[in-house]
Amino acid sequence: MERQEIFDGLLEIFRSVRQIDPEKLKNATEETDLVADLNVPSTERINIVIKAEQVFDVQFDDDDVDDLGSKMKDLINLIIETKKIV
Amino acid sequence: MDNLIGVNPSSILVHGPTKLLVDAYLWHDANLGMIASYTPTLFDVNDHFGIFRGVDMVEAFAQAINASCGFFIESKKLNCNLDVLKAEFTPLFLSIGQVNFMGFLEEGEKMICVGQIKQYKFRQMTCDGRIYKVPHSFDLHSYFENYTSEQFLAFDFPEDFLPIAELTNIVGKVIKKEKMLK
Repeated sequence: MERQEIFDGLLEIFRSVRQIDPEKLKNATEETDLVADLNVPSTERINIVIKAEQVFDVQFDDDDVDDLGSKMKDLINLIIETKKIV
Repeated sequence: MDNLIGVNPSSILVHGPTKLLVDAYLWHDANLGMIASYTPTLFDVNDHFGIFRGVDMVEAFAQAINASCGFFIESKKLNCNLDVLKAEFTPLFLSIGQVNFMGFLEEGEKMICVGQIKQYKFRQMTCDGRIYKVPHSFDLHSYFENYTSEQFLAFDFPEDFLPIAELTNIVGKVIKKEKMLK
């Protein structure tokens, strides 16, 4: 799975998150920060990660999610790394 | 150990004696949730006209449900005892969705926190539940000995259990202590 494909899939997830302003997604890049740029509450981040597991058919490790950064590229990297292990 | 019944809350929660707001675990199912009791002390109502503060009720609920149940689930997942877990992890209160108060508690009045787990994933727990004031002489341990999951999910309690608060989306997390230092 290509990075761009994952990026687009994550954007779809973000569009379904009530707390995210869709306008802010128009210029999103891999450097976009969920907390600083999209104002995603910390509690909602877990729900995004859970949706990512479902959409990309992966299972993340608890410790990896603990260590996860808040930028889109961090989640993309985690998805790629987790898929490699599987 | 299949549940936390009979375990002293002070042996699982990291809170010190003046901040520990759980007296006893009464009913517990690792997948469904917990019922725990607490009786506010003179210290708890000091400088607050003899009333147990609403924020402390929510804190008691989170200690009883999010923290205690979260620690129990992690101890099972990691296959380690509670002392080891307590040394490595700490509970974190993340957010409150909504709380509606319908009553209050004074010093010496007993309450139960009834928390139903809605989601537990990546060490983060979301719960809904209620707090009831219960008659002081009521034998809670005997009553909950044969309490069923169906009763728990239906909030099935005697009529003299008075609803004090209804809570939704109480979120807490069990986090590695090393993460707290960053």
